[in-house]
Amino acid sequence: MRLLVVEDERDLAQTLRRALEEEQFAVDLAEDGEEGLFKMRELPYDAVVLDLMLPRMDGWTVLQTARGDGIRTPVLVLTARDMIEERVRGLNLGADDYLTKPFALAELIARVRAMIRRAYGNPAATLQLGDLTIDTAARQVCRGGAPIELTAREFAILELLTRSRGTVVARARICEHIYNEDTDVLSNVVDVHVAALRRKLGSDLIRTRRGEGYIIDA
Amino acid sequence: MLSSLRARLLIWYTLILAVVIATFAATLCYLFWRSLVADIDQRLQASAAGLVQGLRPTASGDFDLVLPGEYRQVDGITAAAATYYAVWNREGELIDRSPGDFPPTAPPAPGIATRQGRRELTSGGANGAVVLVGRDLADTRRDVLAFAGTAAAGGLIALVVSLLGGWFLAGRALAPVARISHAAAAMTAGDLTARIAVERTENELEQVARALNQAFDRLHQAVESERRFTADASHELRTPLATISAEIEWALARPRTADEYRRCLDTAQRAADRMRRVVERLLTLAHADAGAAALQRAPVGLAPVVNDAVGIVKPLAEQKRVTIETRLDAAMVVGDRDRLTDLATNLVSNAIRYNRDGGRVSVEVWPDGDDACLRVADTGTGISADDLPRVFERFFRADKARTADSGGAGLGLAIAKWIVEAHGGRIACTSTAGQGTEVLVRLPRLT
Repeated sequence: MRLLVVEDERDLAQTLRRALEEEQFAVDLAEDGEEGLFKMRELPYDAVVLDLMLPRMDGWTVLQTARGDGIRTPVLVLTARDMIEERVRGLNLGADDYLTKPFALAELIARVRAMIRRAYGNPAATLQLGDLTIDTAARQVCRGGAPIELTAREFAILELLTRSRGTVVARARICEHIYNEDTDVLSNVVDVHVAALRRKLGSDLIRTRRGEGYIIDA
Repeated sequence: MLSSLRARLLIWYTLILAVVIATFAATLCYLFWRSLVADIDQRLQASAAGLVQGLRPTASGDFDLVLPGEYRQVDGITAAAATYYAVWNREGELIDRSPGDFPPTAPPAPGIATRQGRRELTSGGANGAVVLVGRDLADTRRDVLAFAGTAAAGGLIALVVSLLGGWFLAGRALAPVARISHAAAAMTAGDLTARIAVERTENELEQVARALNQAFDRLHQAVESERRFTADASHELRTPLATISAEIEWALARPRTADEYRRCLDTAQRAADRMRRVVERLLTLAHADAGAAALQRAPVGLAPVVNDAVGIVKPLAEQKRVTIETRLDAAMVVGDRDRLTDLATNLVSNAIRYNRDGGRVSVEVWPDGDDACLRVADTGTGISADDLPRVFERFFRADKARTADSGGAGLGLAIAKWIVEAHGGRIACTSTAGQGTEVLVRLPRLT
C-alpha cells in the first residue's frame, strides 16, 4: 500500500513515515500543499494523510483541487483545530476521514487501512481467496488455519492483486504500490516477488498476462 | 413586555385623546348655550323695548299699556311661547302681567339675569314704571343637552376609531423594537450573525437598530478574532504535542535500539521546546492583555540594548550565513530594559529567519527629533501587500515566507507591537516582495 503524507512539521512527518513503514506501507512525504497536490496528481496513491495548515497551499485547497481534477484517492485529514465547522468543511470538500492532533498512531493506521478497504470496495479486513484467508489488519495469510510466512513486499503484492481480483495489474502499478519514491527499483523485482509468492501459495494462483501484468482470476 | 409597552402607549394616547375630545365638546356646548342665550337676550330686549313703548304716560302720573302684538292673547295663548312679562308702577304695584306662574311678585333690580332657570330682563319705563320680560330656558337647555348628547356620541366614535388606529400605529412604530429584541435574543442564544433588518426609513428606532447592528458587528469581530486566536493557539500547541505522542507511541510499540531511542527523544525534546516557547509567548500576551505585565520605567540607552540583542541572535545569523550590519547612535528612552531587548531580539531574529541564505540584515538606531528610532531591514523574500497589514496579528504568518523549520509561532511581531505601544511608541512594517522587509520603531526619546 502506497501512502502520501502531506505534513509541514518535519519531525511529525518523519515519525509518521517511520511508524507507517513499520506497518508495511510505502510512504512518500510532501512538505507543503503544492508538493502534495503535485504528487497526488502524479501517482495513484492508496491513501493520503493531509494536514490542513500547510505552507504555500492549504489543505482545503489541495483537497478541493484534487477532487476537482477527479482524483479519488481516499484522504484522511489531519487537523489541529478541533472545530466542528472544520470537520464538516473537510468532509464536504471530499475528505474521507479526519483525525484531530494529537492522535494515537494506532488509530491513524487503523483509519488509513479502513479507508483503503472501503476504496477497494470491500470494507472487510479479512479477504478470502479460495482456501486462503488474508487478514489485512494482522498482515497474515493462512491456508486452512496454517499460517504461511510472507515478506512485507510479497504480502503487499498479494493484497493488491486480491483486492483488484479479475483485473490485470501492470508491473509498474505494482512497483508504485510497494515502493516509495526514495527506492530505486530494479526492473525485474516484481517478477522476483511474484515467483516467491507462487512458490509459497501454488503456481496457478497468480497468472501472468504477457506484456500486461499479473492477475488473480475472480 | 413589548405588548405592555404597546398597551401603555395606547392607554396614555386614549386618555389624552379623551380629555381633548371632552374639552372640545364641552367648549362647543358652552358656546352653543352662550349663543342661544345671546339670541334670547336680544329678543328679550326687543320685547322689553316694545313694552316700554307701549306704556303711554298719563297726566295723573300713571300710564296706559298698549300691549305689543306678541303678548296679546288669542284664546289665552300668547304668540311668544314660554315668554312672559310683568309691569309695575312707581309704587311697586303690579299693574299687568302675563298669565301663568312665572313673573315674580316684586320688581327685581334693572338688568338682565338668569333666575331659577329663567332669563329675565328688567328695565325702567315712563313715570317710574318697571317692565320685566322673561323667558323660560327649559327648552334651550334641552336643545343644548341634545347637542351635548350628539357631541358625546360623535366623540366616542372618534375615540374608538382613533383607538384602533392608535393600536395599529403603535404596533407599526414598535415593530423595529420587536425586530431589535428578536435579533438581540438570537445574539444572546449564540447566533453572532443575527442582525436587525433595518428599513430605509430614518426614524429614531431605525437609527437605534443601525447603531445596534454596528455594535453587533464589532462584537462578532471580537468573538471571531478571539475564536481564531484560540484555534491558532490550539494548533500551535497540538502539532508539537502530536509529534511527542506519536514518537512515544512508536518507541513503546516494540523494543528499539539505543540510537532509535536517542533520535526519538531528540525529536520529542524539539517539540517540547517549541511548546514551551509558544506557551511563554502566550503568557506574555495574556499578561499584556490583562495589563498585568508591569513595565520597569528607567532610562535605557537603546543602542546598548540593540547591541545585546544582536549578540543573542548571532549564532542564528551564522547558521544562515547572514551578515548583520549595525549603525548604533546614542538615543535614550524610558522603559523596560528586558522588554526592549525582547523587542530588538524579535525583530532581528525575524530579519535573519526570513532572509535568504547569505543575505544581509541592517540594524540602525538614531535619534530623530523627539523620537528614538530603531530600524531593522533585511534582504529576504519580503511580504506581499495583501499580508502586510496583518503581520502584527497574533499567529499570523506570511505563509509564503514560512518554511517548516523557521520555527516561529507567529507571535513575535504581535509581542513586538505590544512592547512598542506599552512604551508609547509606534511600529510600522514596509516591504517590497523579493527585495526585503523593513521594520521601523519610534519610541519617545529621553532628552
